[in-house]
Parts: sequence; C-alpha cells; structure tokens
Amino acid sequence: MKALTANRLIDGEVVFWRKGEWIERFADAELFDDPAVAEAAEAHGKNQPTVVVDVYLIDLVDADGIPTPVSYRERLRALGPTNPRQHGKQAEGGKVIAALAQASGAARSTGRVNLIKR
Amino acid sequence: MYRYDEIDKQFLADRTAEFRGQVERRLINEITEEQFKPIRLMNGLYLQLHAYMLRIAIPYGSLRSRQLRMLAEIARTHDKGYGHFTTRTNMQFHWIKLREAPDIIDKLATVDMHSIQTSGNCIRNTTADPHAGATAEELDDPRVWCEAVRQWSSVHPEFSFLPRKFKIAIVASLKDRAAVRIHDIGLYMRRGRNGDLGFEVAVGGGLGRTPYVAPTIRQFIPAARLFSYLEAILRVYNRYGRRDNSFKARIKILVASLGVEEFARQVEAEWEKIGEGSDLPDTELARIRGAFTPLPFETLPASSSAFEEARLADPAFARFVRNNVHPHKQPGYAIVDVSLKAIGETPGDCSAEQMDLIADLAERYSLDDVRVTHEQNLVLPHVRLDDVPTVHAALAAAGLATPNVNLISDIIACPGLDYCALANARAIPIAQHIAERFADQDRAELIGELKIKISGCINACGHHHVGHIGILGVDKKGEEFYQLTLGGSGAEDAEVGKILGPALPENRVTDAIEQLVEVYLRERQDGERFLDTYRRTGMAPFKEAVYADVH
Amino acid sequence: MPTYIKLKDGVAAWAEDAFTTVADEEKLPRGDVIISLERFKTEGDHLLVEGRSLGVRLEAGEAVEDLVYDLPRLSVIALVFPKFKDGRNYSSARLLRDRYGFKGEIRAVGEVLREQAGHMVRCGVDAFEPYDGSTPEQWQAAAHRYRHVYQRDSDARVPAFVERAQ
Ligand code: SF4
Repeated sequence: MKALTANRLIDGEVVFWRKGEWIERFADAELFDDPAVAEAAEAHGKNQPTVVVDVYLIDLVDADGIPTPVSYRERLRALGPTNPRQHGKQAEGGKVIAALAQASGAARSTGRVNLIKR
Repeated sequence: MYRYDEIDKQFLADRTAEFRGQVERRLINEITEEQFKPIRLMNGLYLQLHAYMLRIAIPYGSLRSRQLRMLAEIARTHDKGYGHFTTRTNMQFHWIKLREAPDIIDKLATVDMHSIQTSGNCIRNTTADPHAGATAEELDDPRVWCEAVRQWSSVHPEFSFLPRKFKIAIVASLKDRAAVRIHDIGLYMRRGRNGDLGFEVAVGGGLGRTPYVAPTIRQFIPAARLFSYLEAILRVYNRYGRRDNSFKARIKILVASLGVEEFARQVEAEWEKIGEGSDLPDTELARIRGAFTPLPFETLPASSSAFEEARLADPAFARFVRNNVHPHKQPGYAIVDVSLKAIGETPGDCSAEQMDLIADLAERYSLDDVRVTHEQNLVLPHVRLDDVPTVHAALAAAGLATPNVNLISDIIACPGLDYCALANARAIPIAQHIAERFADQDRAELIGELKIKISGCINACGHHHVGHIGILGVDKKGEEFYQLTLGGSGAEDAEVGKILGPALPENRVTDAIEQLVEVYLRERQDGERFLDTYRRTGMAPFKEAVYADVH
Repeated sequence: MPTYIKLKDGVAAWAEDAFTTVADEEKLPRGDVIISLERFKTEGDHLLVEGRSLGVRLEAGEAVEDLVYDLPRLSVIALVFPKFKDGRNYSSARLLRDRYGFKGEIRAVGEVLREQAGHMVRCGVDAFEPYDGSTPEQWQAAAHRYRHVYQRDSDARVPAFVERAQ
C-alpha cells in the first residue's frame, strides 16, 4: 500500500494526495494498492511546480487496521515533532493520529524503505 | 556594540530587495525550484520536514535587546511562538512559510539583522567567546575582529563559491568557550615577543564524517596582517580544495592530505605575494573598536552585600551562583549564564515570552547586551552584583534559571529527526530523557562538569564528536539507534571522542549514560572531571559497564 | 550559439564575438580563436606567428601560473565555470588582473548565471556568455545590485572602509 506526499511550495506544509487534490491530513490521504495508479498520481503531482515541491510515494503497512507509514521519518511528517507533542498536525488528535503516534514495533521493524536516502 | 551605519543598512536593503524579487519569481514559476533552491539557501531558507526553516545569523553570538525582541516578534507572528538557538550561535525558526519569508527578512533588516550566508559554501557566521568584553582573561575584545571578518566576508567576490562551507572562530583568552579547534580557521589572540597583538592560527578543524581538531599552522601573525593572511588561506583552499566529493571538500581534508607543513608552506608563499594591500586599514579597525569600547561601567566595590546576603539566605540562589555566575573584569559586576536547558525542555529552544523577558533584563541590567553560546545557552554579560538576585528571580519565574551550566543536564542537541530533513534519528527526546534522569541538582553537582552532545546524523551539528559523552543517532533498518563516544572535548584541550561500542537502541541510551556516570564516580580521583577520569583509565571500565550484560 | 555580453566602460552591452571557440578535436578555422591551454602549448607560437589574435580557455583547476609568460601575447582568457558552484576561477581572474597585470579580455564561460554577475565583475571578468539567457540590462542590474562593497578587489569600486574614511 502506498500514499503520495509532498511539501506545499507556499508554506512548506506536509501534504498528501487525494483524488487530484493536495490535503493536509494523512488520515484523508488516498491509498494506492495498484502501483500503476500510484505512479500516475506521482507524475501528476510532479507536474505542479507552483503548488508543491519534493513529490514522492511512501510505503504504508497495516497497523491494527490503520494504514501507517513504514518509515519513522514519514510518521513524523504526518504527525509533527515529538519533543513538544502538541505542534504540527498531531495537535488535532483523533484515531489515526493516535495510531501513528503509537506505531513503533511492528511498523518500524518491517524495515525502512528508500525514503531517508532519497 | 557595533551598530550598522548608513553603508551597512543600504547594503542589507539591496539584498532584501533582491530576495523579495526572487521569491516572487519563484511563486509564479519564472524560476524553477532547481534554480531557486540555491538562492533561498543563500538566504538561510531551508525546506525541512514540516515546513521551511529560516536560519538567522547572530554575528559572533551578540544581540541587543531590540534585536532579541524582534526575534520574539517573528516567533509570535511567523512561527509557533518559539525559536531555536543553534551550536553556530544562530537562531532557527522551524515553521516558516515561504510567502512570509521576504516580510520576515525585511523585519530583521530594521534591527540590522539578516540570514545572509547562513547556508551555502561561503564564509559563515564567525564564532566568538560569549564572555568577550566581560572576562578579565582576555587580551583584547575578539568581537572587534569578528565584526571586521563579518564585513570582509559579506558577499566576498572571490570566496562565495568555495568547495564547502567555511567557519571561523576567534577567542582572546586561554579558556576556549567557542570550540575554536573544530572550526575551519581558529584564531587565538596572542601577544608577540615585543608585546604586540596578533593571532595564533589553526586551520582545518571540523566535525562531520571525518572529524579533525585543527592544527596550528602559524604561531603568530601580527594583528594588522590578519586579513591578508586570511585571504592567503582562503585562496589556497578555493583553488586546491576538493570539489569532486562533498564529504571531502572541507579544508580539513586539504590540510590533512597535504600535511600541515606543506599546507602552511603554500599559505605562506601565497601570503608573501599578496603583500599588505589586502589588510584592513588601521582607521577602519579603530572605527570598529570604538563601537565596542568603552562600556559605561559604574565604579563599584568588588563585593556586594545584597549579593552575599542572598547567597546565604537562599540555597537556590547560591546554587545558581555556583554554576551560572562567573567573575567579570569590572569590580562589582558578574557574567550571568542563562540556561536554555530547563529539565525536560528542548535544548536551545526559547519562547517569545522568554526572549522578551531576557531582552528586558538585558536592557535594564546588562548594558543592553545578550550573548548566545555554542552550547545553546544565553549570557547576560554585564550584570551588577547588586542586581544578580533580582535577575535570578526574574529568570527563575520564567523557567530560565536552571542552575546546570556545564553539568550533565546542560546537553547540546541538534534538531534531529523531529525537524531536520537530513536526520537519521531524533536527538531532542534523548536529551530530554537524560536531563530528566539527572534532574536531581545535588547529584548533578556531585558529578560535576560533564558535557553531553547529541547529533541526529553524522553531519554533527550537535558536536557529538567533542562531547565528553557524544551521542550520534544512526538508522539501523528503520529503527533509531545511538552510537556513544567518550573522551571528546571542544575546549582548549580539544579532542575527538572514541567510539564506546556497538550502537544502542533508543530505550537503552539513558541507562547507558547512568552506567557511565557510575563508573566515573567509582573510579574518579581527587578533583577529576569525567573527562579526566576517562583519559586516565581509558575506555575499558566504561565499556565493561555498558556492555556487561551483552557478554 | 551562446550570446556574448561585454563590459564597455563598466556598462554591459551585447557585442560581436570576434573569436571562435575551438575544441581540441576540432580543426582550426581561419581568424581569431580561443583554444585550450593544452593546444596553446603545442600550437600557440605557430598561430601567433600567423598573425592571429589568440585566446586561451582555462578550465577550473588549471593554473594561471602556467600562462604567466604568455599573457602579453594573449588577447582573451576564457575562464570556465563548469558549475555555478565551482568558484576556482574567481581566484584565477583576480590573479590575472592583480598579480599578473593582464590587460586583455577575461571572459566567463560555462554555467554563468546572473546571480554571479557581481562576483565576476569584481574579480576582473569583463566579458560573459550567460548560461541563463540574461540580457545586458539584467546583467548590469545584477552586477550593480549593491550600492556598497566591503572589500577591495580587482575592479575600481571603493570599499566601505574607504568610503567611511572620506
Ligand atoms: S546533525 Fe544531522 S540531524 Fe542534526 S541538525 Fe545536523 S543535519 Fe540535521
């Protein structure tokens, strides 16, 4: 499973792709099971240089029924920093945020994808 | 302190106008991200994990109240109400919006500040002794020279596209509070045989993938000849430094590969050809010097009864004095360290309210002067002893009086994976856990000076190589692991630490620190710091303790 | 064909390039040419005897010192900036002007961007083949972005410390 992410040009905000739009909450991100569809979305996103920068796909795994980024880095992007737990997207709370914050063990030990070295 | 004149102001205005135009061109895609990226980086604007990050230069770590208040204003209006002081004595804001960046840069310019040359392969902000102008130990005020370097290096025609970034540090006392030997050029003010002022010149320090402590290439260069000598060093580096591999492009690699003697010989040969034409005229040095001296000190008795009484009456104040207050060159004054390492908080972070408070205190009690240290603390350099109790009370009320300077909870931590796009692992939460474990101030004082420095990746912004205990975040199959080093020092006894053993998982780090401290307390002899004990006993007992259960 | 901007009395303007830049494997055309340092070493004397004006192309990393004795015979030194980040030839330009007194044209070629105009002009470069399609007006504006400069360099600009003393 994959999702498409980027940073918005104008303010740097972490955004996710949902059916032709860039949205801010990971919980609302479109999930791709078909690699071809994912890559098509990626190509589309990369073609929007005045909207976003750094467009790339991230790998997700199922963590107790909630799709969660495999990479720790990507979970932090979807949440915000962990030093004050209230900054960034996590401030809003909710089920998916809680799941992302919890996800360690399983999700982390599935290994990293080539995101950090990107 | 140095104040911009009309020339400095116009120079900065020209730059800010240019940047505004460049951002506008980017937003309408007249320039691509590829073309824009180096431009924004030249103005200190990075794209990090959650947003843009703006790095603002604090020249030689020196701030006036007005400037600190402006940083507070930016934190409130354009960020989430706080800022982060870095090991380069700069300030980083981590939640910046590109469309607001030109406004922020304009605001900074109103208080003679900017973000120029806080990134890119150019000469960066010069580091100075944070006690400059206040300590009795110094031969001269190093800020005079730092300010001259700042101007000389601003948009330098020849040296703005170097092989890699370039950092200079200057101190004028024997005590090194600026980590001089891990800079590309480290300058120590010295007196020559006939009593004239000059510099000992060390070149080729730096951390990162291949850490080096800078060797001295010249014992003494007369102060008046400094700028031609800097030009010679930079020219040799610009021409012959490696450009094929960014990990090998710092001057430290050139110095190491040529050998210190050969490098020095090339610099000397170049310097002879340059001659005196590139030196700064005495008139300009005198003008800059005039901006730093003389300070309007009052004539006061060497001791203060208010101060002494408070010390007797209030154990908390006495503890603060023991750890955070230092002697001043002027009788009746003291240097007061403001710890940005409150237990459990983010090292180097400062809220807008705290900035405002420190600005007020500086204005009222410290001759309008605040310093930033490379250890991510602040300093009020000129406080009357009579006022120290008042200043302490005000700081304490704002969570700024943690009496832990140089102690185990005074930890350097880079932003790490919580913010930084290059990170392998988090650094801040590690610092928070360790500080919480050693929150007991009696115990911390018993342990004494112990410098823990944490970086989230090998770039070493958290100076882990030169921590008495260094902690480096690594990524093992997507998990955060931490590699410990022992025996580093960034001070006058500079040394790169040695690796303790295999990297530890996150949840083992604080326990390991505890084990290291226990070995030290068991082994230490009279008056030894952690570092001294380690140097005497070597790695073995420490390694044994941390990895005992592994065997 | 790259366009060619030349400074005349400090003002950037389009100019007619009298020189042909010739790669090492190319046959020499008639007229005035810019050739590599390598080629100059073997063919230079002969070409000069033919009465041509010559330019030498100096790659980043090639030493100006190798040309010192030939400088009076050369009309152009073309300094190559292979990437805009490669700043080695700023030093070459300065040395050519200040140390070796070269009076001919110093031309910047390669990845030459408007952002570098000021640095180049100050180091003594007086001709440019902009890589980003800059016009002379844009080049001029970029080169004079700053009303003040802090260093004494190979151009005639008065550094801040002199302005202040006046
Ligand atoms: S050391 Fe690495 S993780 Fe830390 S701030 Fe520097 S680049 Fe980022």
